[in-house]
Amino acid sequence: MRRIHILCVEDEPEVLEAVVRDLAPFEEVFPIEATATADEARRVVRDVILPRGELGLAICDHILPGEDGVSFMVHLHAQEATRATRKVLLTAQAGLQATIVAVNQAALSHYLAKPWNPDELVAVTRRLLTDYVLETQTNLYPFLSLLEADRLTERIRSGPLPGDE
Amino acid sequence: MKTKTITGLALGILGFLTPLLFDLPGLGFAGQVTLGIFLLAAAFWLFEPVPIYTTSMLVIFLEVLLLSAEGPLCKLSQPPAVSPRAVPESQDFTLPAASLVETNQVLLRGPGPLPGRIAVEILDRAGDEVRVRAFELSTNSLVITRPRHWLNTYRPTPYRDFFAALADPIIILFMGGCLLADGAVKYRLDRSLTRLFLKPLGTRPAFVLLGLMGATGILSAFMSNTATTAMMMTVVLPILARLADDDPLRTAVVLSIPVGANIGGIATPIGTPPNAIALSALSQQGLGIPFARWVVMALPIVLLTMAFAWFLLLRLYPARTGSLTLDLPGKFDRSPRALGLYAVFGATALLWFTEKQHGISSNIVAFLPVVALPMLGIVGKKEIRGLPWEVFWLMAGGISLGTAIKTTGLAAWMVGRVDWSSMGAFAITAGMVLVGFVMANFLSHTVTVTLLAPIAVSVGAVAGRATGFDLAPTLVAVAVASSYGMTLPISTPPNAIAMGSGMLQNRDLMKTGAIIGAVGLALALLCARFYWPLFNP
Repeated sequence: MRRIHILCVEDEPEVLEAVVRDLAPFEEVFPIEATATADEARRVVRDVILPRGELGLAICDHILPGEDGVSFMVHLHAQEATRATRKVLLTAQAGLQATIVAVNQAALSHYLAKPWNPDELVAVTRRLLTDYVLETQTNLYPFLSLLEADRLTERIRSGPLPGDE
Repeated sequence: MKTKTITGLALGILGFLTPLLFDLPGLGFAGQVTLGIFLLAAAFWLFEPVPIYTTSMLVIFLEVLLLSAEGPLCKLSQPPAVSPRAVPESQDFTLPAASLVETNQVLLRGPGPLPGRIAVEILDRAGDEVRVRAFELSTNSLVITRPRHWLNTYRPTPYRDFFAALADPIIILFMGGCLLADGAVKYRLDRSLTRLFLKPLGTRPAFVLLGLMGATGILSAFMSNTATTAMMMTVVLPILARLADDDPLRTAVVLSIPVGANIGGIATPIGTPPNAIALSALSQQGLGIPFARWVVMALPIVLLTMAFAWFLLLRLYPARTGSLTLDLPGKFDRSPRALGLYAVFGATALLWFTEKQHGISSNIVAFLPVVALPMLGIVGKKEIRGLPWEVFWLMAGGISLGTAIKTTGLAAWMVGRVDWSSMGAFAITAGMVLVGFVMANFLSHTVTVTLLAPIAVSVGAVAGRATGFDLAPTLVAVAVASSYGMTLPISTPPNAIAMGSGMLQNRDLMKTGAIIGAVGLALALLCARFYWPLFNP
């Protein structure tokens, strides 16, 4: 099965570890990849995630060594394979200009300010991954126990009823 | 192309041509064509080089082209005929000698589809002409000069009879069931009933599991097994996250849904297409089974296997947690349309179960929801378009194949090949049920019963008299056994959905499926021997 991945980009190791820890409940269904720079993230997306599956959610810090988070997101949005990917900016210091670029050119899905509330991070992740699977997946059953079951159920119930063959 | 696709195509075409290349004594050309279509369909259904419902469409297409009175084959290959020449100053006629059959008969083309046969007195033979005298002859008569032509003995079926399979009463019965299910899902009747069912059973995992299986079984008796599984999965999967990762109860809960749906489908004629196919074959033989009688016949085996499956799941996957809560928010919808749905549902079910009292066939009753639900705005165009048309086509192909096999004499011929009296009547039944069970594990259940029903009916026509072979219990057992073919993920769509949830290991599904299937098969054989014959008319 092609699995849907979560990508976290954050240069401070402790912060990265905390984000991954908060997202641990999703790991069973959505493998998590963690990287420290945008450069490394590009490589991971190209060589690790896309060959095996798809990228459902990218959570990025803005200020990173080298390429910044917003420009990485714009790059993701420009590519066919990662256009539907939901993008979250998790940062303390993205200026107005960078945020505008992120919204307009990378279809930013959510802005989380540091320090974040773990429950909020989990709720946002759950909501955005639900959006993503509703948009891209036909078999929704594998996600019923982790994501927003109400919305997934609604979609399954509103489709035509299958008959037995 | 995959090897399987190529194999299927090659076998299908070979199967279609083979009967035409050999002279099969006793089987007319029309029968040979039908045998070819049957073999083609069997190969295509087994190997699926094209989707199975398109094979059904192809079957109907070939029948219309090759076997129907209006089709090009019958139109273009009329046997040649000539008018007899009068011999001057006598009442005699001369005819081509080739037109004589059985030394002193000729075939006259009449107004009907088949030629009439008259006796003639042969007065003289000269070369390839004969001089004959017969009261029925005149210079206006048309004497057929190729008496061995296949159309002289085969009365072609009107093409509308082949097309009519798509509006067969059994398909209308199914359509009624499907629309009721659509309405039930739209107004959340399925969820309300599940809640009603689970509430009194508390939170003990064993009883919650029983409630889930019971609710699934009852729903799938009236809805398609696949739709029921799809709906119940949306009830159970969200609660699995609350169970520990390694709690075996997770597996039991996910398995309880397809198992409950597969077994529950046996309970009514509309529960699953195999039941309907068996019923339609039986009613073509004048052995129709009313709705309520089917339920009485099927209920014991359904309840027994359901109870067994419950024990098995509890035994194999004992719960580690002490309590399991299913919270289904909401209550019964009381909007006018929902109330209308309850009324139509109730009236239909009531009429189905009281067929004995009022005598109106369940097929006719099924048309009530088909008309009433859209008229009252309870379902709309969306639901009409969303009906499982591919399943209707699949069933129609089987029904029209049955028509062709019967009208072309293929049925009688096939049975004549085997010396049935050398076998015990029940051995034949058991053999068919076993074959059906094995096939159903790999094939669509509908296809399995579609292929076996005409064979069973043919055997019944001949062997029934000789050995006491019992057709009705056999066909019921074949249909029931096919529902127990649920070992593999591909065996049934409910299994496929359960596997698709990603919460199930292949071996768990196969282990429980094989054990429950074997028990169901054994019970079906017992019923076919001792219980179902009690219901013979």
